[in-house]
Parts: sequence; C-alpha cells; structure tokens
Amino acid sequence: MTDSAKLKARDYKSAVKPIWCPGCGHFSVFNAITKAMAALAIDKDDTVMVSGIGCSSRLPAYVDSYGFHGVHGRGLAVGQGLKVARPDLTVLVMGGDGDGFSIGGNHFIHACRRNVNLTYIAMDNEVYGMTKGQASPTTPIDWDHSTLTPHGPGVRPFKPAALALAAGAPWIARAYSGNPNQMAQLIAAAVEFPGFSFLHVMSQCITFCPEQTDWKKIVHERAEPALSDADQAAKLFLHEDGFETGLLYSEQRASWPPAAVETPSDGAMDALAASFRVSTGVTRQ
Amino acid sequence: MKNTNVELAQFLAHSIELESEARDRYQELADSMAQHNNPQAAQFFRRMAEEGNQHLAEVALLTEGMTLPVLNAWEFSWPGAEPPETTSYEALHYRMSLRDAMGLALENERAAEGYYRQFADSSEDPETARTAEGFAEEELSHAAELQRMLQSLPKNSAHSREEDDDPHMPE
Repeated sequence: MTDSAKLKARDYKSAVKPIWCPGCGHFSVFNAITKAMAALAIDKDDTVMVSGIGCSSRLPAYVDSYGFHGVHGRGLAVGQGLKVARPDLTVLVMGGDGDGFSIGGNHFIHACRRNVNLTYIAMDNEVYGMTKGQASPTTPIDWDHSTLTPHGPGVRPFKPAALALAAGAPWIARAYSGNPNQMAQLIAAAVEFPGFSFLHVMSQCITFCPEQTDWKKIVHERAEPALSDADQAAKLFLHEDGFETGLLYSEQRASWPPAAVETPSDGAMDALAASFRVSTGVTRQ
Repeated sequence: MKNTNVELAQFLAHSIELESEARDRYQELADSMAQHNNPQAAQFFRRMAEEGNQHLAEVALLTEGMTLPVLNAWEFSWPGAEPPETTSYEALHYRMSLRDAMGLALENERAAEGYYRQFADSSEDPETARTAEGFAEEELSHAAELQRMLQSLPKNSAHSREEDDDPHMPE
C-alpha cells in the first residue's frame, strides 16, 4: 500500500522511458493520466492499466501501476473481465483508433452497452502509426499520404462519439493532446464516474500526419454542460465538427454486473481451475 | 508560521507549478531524445532540467512556513493550455539540432519572463509584485545567457531535419 496522498504526477511514472516519436500526442495523454492519478490520490497497487496493441498501447509500461499489454483490440475484453472479477480495482483501458474501432470494434460497442465500471481512453491519431502509416477507421476519406490508399481510403470515417452513444455508453467526453490539463480533469472525472466512461482523445501523430498540428487551431472547448438526453446527444454527434472538447454526454444508469451478482468464492474458482486442468492439462500456479 | 499573504501564496503556488512542469518536461524531452539517438539535444535538455530543478528549489525556499493553496493541474490559471515555460510537444523533432533545442528553451524563458512581468504589473500587492518582478528579471537573465550560447553555435543547415529514412515506407 502506497501513501498516495503525498504522490505527485511524476511519482506515477515508471522507470521505463517512452519510445514514442518526439512530438507524439501520446506523451500528453500519459502526463494527463498521471496528473489525474495524483489528483485522485489513486493507490498504485489497486490500479491496472490495460491496453491492446499499437503505439498508444505501450502506455501501461510507462505508468507505475499494474499493467497488461494485451492482444490487439482486446484491451476492453481483458479490462472488463478484470473489473468484474475484482471490482475493488481501478481499471483504465487504453489503445488507439485502429485497436479500438477496427480490430477491437466489436469489443468497443459491447463494452459501451455492457457498462462495466471502467474508463476507456481511445488515443485517436487517425492512422496506424506502429505499422508505418496506413489508414484506420477514423482516417479522413481523402487522406492520401499512404501508398496503400493513394487516393485516400474512400470511405467515411467513424464518428467514435456517435458510435459510443448508439451502443449505449453512458459517459462520453473528448480531449485534445494539446491541452493535457483539461484532459487530466476529464480523466479524473471519468475514473470517478460509476460506469463505463469513454474518453476520445485527439492525439496527434507527428510522424505520419504532421498536418494534425493544425488541430490546435480548430479545437474548441464545450461551453455548455454535458448533455444528458440521448436524442440531443445523437444530433450533436452526427452533426458536430468533431473538435469540441470536454464532457459531452453523461447519464446515470446501472452498471454491469448488478450488485446482486455474487463474486465467485475461492472454492468455486478452484473448482473451475480444476476443470481446466482436466481438459487442458495446464496446472494453475 | 509566516503570516500568509493570500495573493503571494497564490503567485508562489503558480510559480512552483510553472517551474516543476518546465523541469519535468525537459527531463522527458531529454529521455526522449536519448531514446532517439540524439545525444546533443538530450544532453542540453537534461541540463535545462537540472537548472529547472535549481530554480524550483529557490522558489520553494521562499515558501517555507507559508500555506500555499493546493490546486489540481487544471485549476491553475495560465495564459495558454500549459504553463508558459513548458515546451510544446509538437515543437519537437527527433532530428532537431542543438540550435533548435536552444531556440525552444529561449522561447520558454521569454514566455516565463512575460508571465512574471505581467503578474508583477497587475498585482495590487507590493510584496507579490516585487517577487514577480524578481522572477521576471531572473528569467530575462536566463534568456540572455541562452541567446549568448545560441550566437556561438553554427547556423542550422537547411536540410538539418531532412529524413534519411522516410517514415512512409513503400508497402
């Protein structure tokens, strides 16, 4: 148990140094996460960062907490399983736009509707950076920087907030890597929200999409309180420019699993493990 | 316990955040440049982090015995999204030259000077104004030192950031 009340943001950073490209927006997300952890005096020993695969999914290694660098697109599957098994833990799941909306798209929509009490941070740079710059589900229709899509992907990008709302996410916010302090505030609010909180972060890829440095000219903070009416939120998410930051939508709804579902006893877990031993021969340590 | 001057306490809380953010960012940039095999920029940023640490210690000394407001990162009031001496991530490039790195640091020192000067000019409390003016002068001296160092460096080649290894590989 750490004395979290005295920890500063830098105390939540591990000894592993990020290898992201200098100028990458993910540094900002990393700093915002540690600032939020310090503000909430989160206990490192009771916190788990879970990710999929991609540049952004390296983040758990850089935070001084428990972490699980998972399978591509499956960060949410692992994170939900963990939270259901150990509801006492604070679980943050993170990944990129390809990981979350393409390979993990199915997990994303079902996580939205299932509403397990965890925070999902999608670090969206509209490109597959780790594999050197291919179009992702959020790449603009005419982005022609990749030789795989020389005339642009030719299909309309997902609107992650609209997708999340339609799938039932009760808490939707957007942040921008150029404003890490606002992002830290949103992450703190997301962690405190008693349900599935989805934070869509516009996190620039300086290497493959240098034009994203122009985002700072067009992002704008939401001036009004978050919407709580899904109809109004649907209109907003379908027609907005996608650059409004802040808490956009929030509604209270019971998270899953309901309190009446009992956590399996140790005996039940041992019996389950024994059944696996019979079928697979794998011994549980 | 000193008799707490509320405006001074608010100012010093901001100064500590400004200096610690600047130091932490320089440290991060140094680590990042080291990861990307740019030892010159890494060494310079590490030196700036060490100097930042000293400035932070000096400011902290002034606050001994004072009760400062405890603020979350987003509760501070800055002219921009981050404290004025904090290097913007997007100004970076893995092949940045020492001159580029110094240029960024010079911009930071000037921004910090401007912030402190503005605070001094607008403060109604003489002690706060005097302290802020002192900090502005210190930042000005850092900027002058960096300016001198910059003048002793050769100019960047027009191709200093040109990629030998274009990130857009043919798929």
